[in-house]
Amino acid sequence: MRSLIPLVQALVIVFGAPLLRGVVSKLKARLQGRQGASVWRPYADLGKLFRKEDLVPPLASPLFWMAPRIVFAATAAAVLLIPVFQPAAVFGSPGDFVLLVGLLALARFFLVLGAMDGGGAFGGMGGSREALVSALAEAPFLLGITAVAIMARSTQLAGIVTWTLGQNFFDISAVHILAFSALAMVAVAETGRVPVDNPTTHLELTMIHEAMVLEHSGPSLAFLEWANSIKLGLLLSLLIGLFFPWGMAAGFSLPVLALAAGAYAAKMAALALVLAAVESSVAKMRMYAVPDFLGIASATGALAVVFTAFGGR
Amino acid sequence: MVWSSIALAVSLVGFAAVIPAAWIAARTRWLSWLPGTTLACSLLFGTFVGIVLISSTRPLRLDLGVAPFQFGIEIDPLASFFLILICAVSLPVILYAAAYLPRHYSPVQTQWIWGLTSLFLLSMALVVVASTGFAFLVGWELMTLLSAALILVDGTSKERLHNLFIYLLMMHVGAGVVAASFFAFLPASGGLHFSALRASGALLTPGARSVIFLLAFVGFGTKAGIIPLHLWLPKAHPIAPTPVSALMSGLMLKTAVYGFVRFTFDFLGGGPAWAGYVVLLAGAVSGVLGVLYAIGEHDLKRLLAYHSVENIGIIYMGLGAALIFLENDAPAWAAVAVVAALFHTLNHALFKSLLFLGAGAIADATHTLDIDELGGLVKRLPITGIAFLIGCASIVGLPPLNGFVSELLIFQSFLAGSTLAALPAQVILPLMAGVLALIGGLAAACFAKVYGVAFLGRARTAAAESAQEVPPMMLSGMGLLAASCIGLGVFPRLALDTLFSVAQTLVPGSSPPTEIAGLQRILVATTVAVLGIGLLTMAARVRRRVTAPWACGLPGLTTRMQYTSASFSKPIRAVFAAVYKADRKLDVLPANRPYFPSSISYRSVRTTSFERSLYRPMTNVVVTLATGMRRLQTGNIQVYLLYIFLTLVALLAMLGVQE
Amino acid sequence: MDLVQFAAGKTLSSSAVFLLVTVLLLAAAQRVSTSIKLFALQSAIITAQVMATAYTEKSAEAWVVAAMVFGLKVIAIPSTLLWLVERLKTRRAVEPTISGAKAVFVAVFMIFLSYAAVQPYALESHIAADALSSAVALILVGAFLMVNRRKALMQIIGLLVLENGIFLAALATTFGMPLVIEIGIFFDLLMGILIMGIFAFRIRDTFDHLDVTKLRRLRG
Repeated sequence: MRSLIPLVQALVIVFGAPLLRGVVSKLKARLQGRQGASVWRPYADLGKLFRKEDLVPPLASPLFWMAPRIVFAATAAAVLLIPVFQPAAVFGSPGDFVLLVGLLALARFFLVLGAMDGGGAFGGMGGSREALVSALAEAPFLLGITAVAIMARSTQLAGIVTWTLGQNFFDISAVHILAFSALAMVAVAETGRVPVDNPTTHLELTMIHEAMVLEHSGPSLAFLEWANSIKLGLLLSLLIGLFFPWGMAAGFSLPVLALAAGAYAAKMAALALVLAAVESSVAKMRMYAVPDFLGIASATGALAVVFTAFGGR
Repeated sequence: MVWSSIALAVSLVGFAAVIPAAWIAARTRWLSWLPGTTLACSLLFGTFVGIVLISSTRPLRLDLGVAPFQFGIEIDPLASFFLILICAVSLPVILYAAAYLPRHYSPVQTQWIWGLTSLFLLSMALVVVASTGFAFLVGWELMTLLSAALILVDGTSKERLHNLFIYLLMMHVGAGVVAASFFAFLPASGGLHFSALRASGALLTPGARSVIFLLAFVGFGTKAGIIPLHLWLPKAHPIAPTPVSALMSGLMLKTAVYGFVRFTFDFLGGGPAWAGYVVLLAGAVSGVLGVLYAIGEHDLKRLLAYHSVENIGIIYMGLGAALIFLENDAPAWAAVAVVAALFHTLNHALFKSLLFLGAGAIADATHTLDIDELGGLVKRLPITGIAFLIGCASIVGLPPLNGFVSELLIFQSFLAGSTLAALPAQVILPLMAGVLALIGGLAAACFAKVYGVAFLGRARTAAAESAQEVPPMMLSGMGLLAASCIGLGVFPRLALDTLFSVAQTLVPGSSPPTEIAGLQRILVATTVAVLGIGLLTMAARVRRRVTAPWACGLPGLTTRMQYTSASFSKPIRAVFAAVYKADRKLDVLPANRPYFPSSISYRSVRTTSFERSLYRPMTNVVVTLATGMRRLQTGNIQVYLLYIFLTLVALLAMLGVQE
Repeated sequence: MDLVQFAAGKTLSSSAVFLLVTVLLLAAAQRVSTSIKLFALQSAIITAQVMATAYTEKSAEAWVVAAMVFGLKVIAIPSTLLWLVERLKTRRAVEPTISGAKAVFVAVFMIFLSYAAVQPYALESHIAADALSSAVALILVGAFLMVNRRKALMQIIGLLVLENGIFLAALATTFGMPLVIEIGIFFDLLMGILIMGIFAFRIRDTFDHLDVTKLRRLRG
């Protein structure tokens, strides 16, 4: 029973990810004065895609349909490293956040390869843009988590969460504010949201992520969309776990776990609202402004690391 | 001990025996397998020696000759690690070469290559097991000469000779500096035996210590390919025969790492206080610039050569961190950083050799190494494609392959830098984690480009369309290397435990920190998770239909509409434009009617900025000095006699003054 | 009462990081009006710091200083500058020499320098290291902004940020400045702004632009 809880929390992220996406879309619509689709719409979309057939370009290799499944597998495996309801994950070891970044990099590598295998122009375009964005986003991602890890004196995600749980929320820490800014910017870039990339665009020349999934269809596309939603849920859970973990269950009794689940849901809803507000109020940047954006994130992350040396507060 | 000595002797005899074997094989057709097999046996014995001696407490010693030409061998744990690296990694390469060489070279050339390669491997082994300065320098010089000879076997066109000349020049300058670093020990040690050097290392003055460190850094850095001493790497590695390129990039660079480690950790016991920062900075610059230069390349071998620069940079970053830890009295983490650097050395040897062998296979099948002329190769060369994919994923540092594990260990040692008391180390080491992440991200972009353009998509030329899979022996060589990449990635303890004991000899007083335990467990668990979920999703039966991809409503896509290497890398090259200062020339003819041109020519030449700003001024100075000195050579015999007379007078005067 | 004390304590100890965030945003800002609003925000944070100091040190003068800072630097000067931007009809972009991420990296380096330099000194003298370090950082970044920007208006803002830094440094070291000094500084500032504003109009009328890199006739 005890060891099942972390597995349950991983399943919650994996199967609840489309709901998160639906909530964000609904909030965006409401903020923009529209009714918006139902929050359960992404599930219906996934179901529809799974029932369809897979369309494959001529001369594409087996990698074309294997890549989306590898992307899904890597992203879902990465979820196993995140603490959600408890300050413990399914797998954990010192330095596991590097493994998390590595698994996301594996997913992205195969996403780009799958796009290039389409043999069309858009796969390459999406791939080259994604290569630029992800190359520059890795540094602030690691710098932000490094800064927090140094403060917590632990390189294990569960250890960092445990340390943060023991801190007072009103003890404002400069390192955490700066690291949160850097990681928030990276989360926007990695999940392909406005202002880095518009997930609802249909104009090919403005696409980054969408151009990579353009050629895939049917179950392959379902896996890719699902993996994208999981990535969003994963990154938001990571932000919650590193910066606002209060409310996580310390024990295994049912009321404590229920409270933890409720707190988690409330925090995710709040982050979804912030994301929807940001997406509705800023415009998408042109592509060559994204390196600047990520450079500022790197500088903020670097400053967070520098501040850890000054007793970090 | 006895067995290892016998095995060592057999191995040495075997290396030498390859030459007569090659001579015989050149004469008879049906004995052409002889040199390869002999060499493989020698390598097997060499690996055996290394494995036996790496965990023994008594190193194998052998001393011959008299000073100053003392010739000695000492195989201690560090030397045996590098011996295993050289022998074990070259085995698959030899296997590959056995099938590759006859397809590309005449029988005489093939046997020349076998003989020279055997001696080349012998010289590399000599460098790592040498225990006197003389033996070390002999081996060092032989490595350069033999690799140059192997390059010459492959052809002697003007451009090749020019690149070869630059290679020889830089290698000899580097060898000179290495020799100087040995000789700088002489005042303190009185001899060049490694034990004497080790003993005198503790007694050196800080000035002497700094001088020796700098000489060793520059000398070994030239051979390793640290920026800005890397100029020869992209010129020399592409022009050698493919198996030899693999050996040069995979193994020869590692001998430079061995030399540097031997000097700084063993002889000097850590170097001056600022040594770690210099090494760390040089490693970081090499890593970033190496991968940026690689992104701009579309010749496969040049691209791989630049990636060697990048990986040597990563190794040096690990070594720099180790030196900083050593300086700040943290031997446990210094050992971790050394282990990480040595493990990355092993991993790089494995995946770089694999990638070079894959490049050779591509050249074999399509007769071109320009990835812009390839495409869709994974369907024509499936096994090569899979092996090359594993090599790409390893060099990028993706889990669960071996490149990821060594980079993870380097990350952890950087993070541990925050526990030190000195402010520079506390700040710089964790920031280097960001630099390493940037290097990893750019490497991922580069290899996504390489694999995507060369192996995926549709064939861009007829050569790529008609490519045939290479012979099984070549495939087995690549397969062995790919399997070891996966094996060391999922089960790193196979190598890490031994490496920790090697590190104990270099950094005494350290035991592995608890942070490293549990690493293998989580890697295995994650691999199982990824494989499990992946197989689960692939197992479901799915209806699949072939249809044309989206072409914006146009009649159809041609293969020219795919992204090329230059277009894929354009965003990154645009962002880092300060690094690529290309000379661009655009000529529009006729000049007086620019809107109705009859011809437009565009020429873009990229000379790396180091060539322009560092090397040309230096060569100009040398040429000026040499021109000035030419005035001494008047051609007049009386002037020459005058020189001899003056020398005699000077010597007599010196003797007189001394009295 | 206890809650207010708690809030005052928290303000004093945590305002440094918010000031540094405004500094980073200033280095990255791309519009003149954004820079002016960031300056107003910065001054508001400093006002809060003065008020917290006034509460903890129980000095009545400090309340007056806080009111003056608020009135002048949060309301009067920013609205004047915004009006100036409207009237001068200049282009909205900041036109820096080093733009975007590189400028932010330089700002990060300045912050690191100021912290590294102040820390050993502050430890001996029992001064709030945070406040003094952030003050020195404001001074350095203000100077950097003046060097980096090409528009004459932006150099005024750089000077104002510099002055914020000096004010904060004085606050940190004296725990509430004597009123007389503060009034003197304010009048200097006011005169400086007035003169610079008039000059901005004259420059624009004579040269039709405000780009200072082009105002180089006066040289040998």
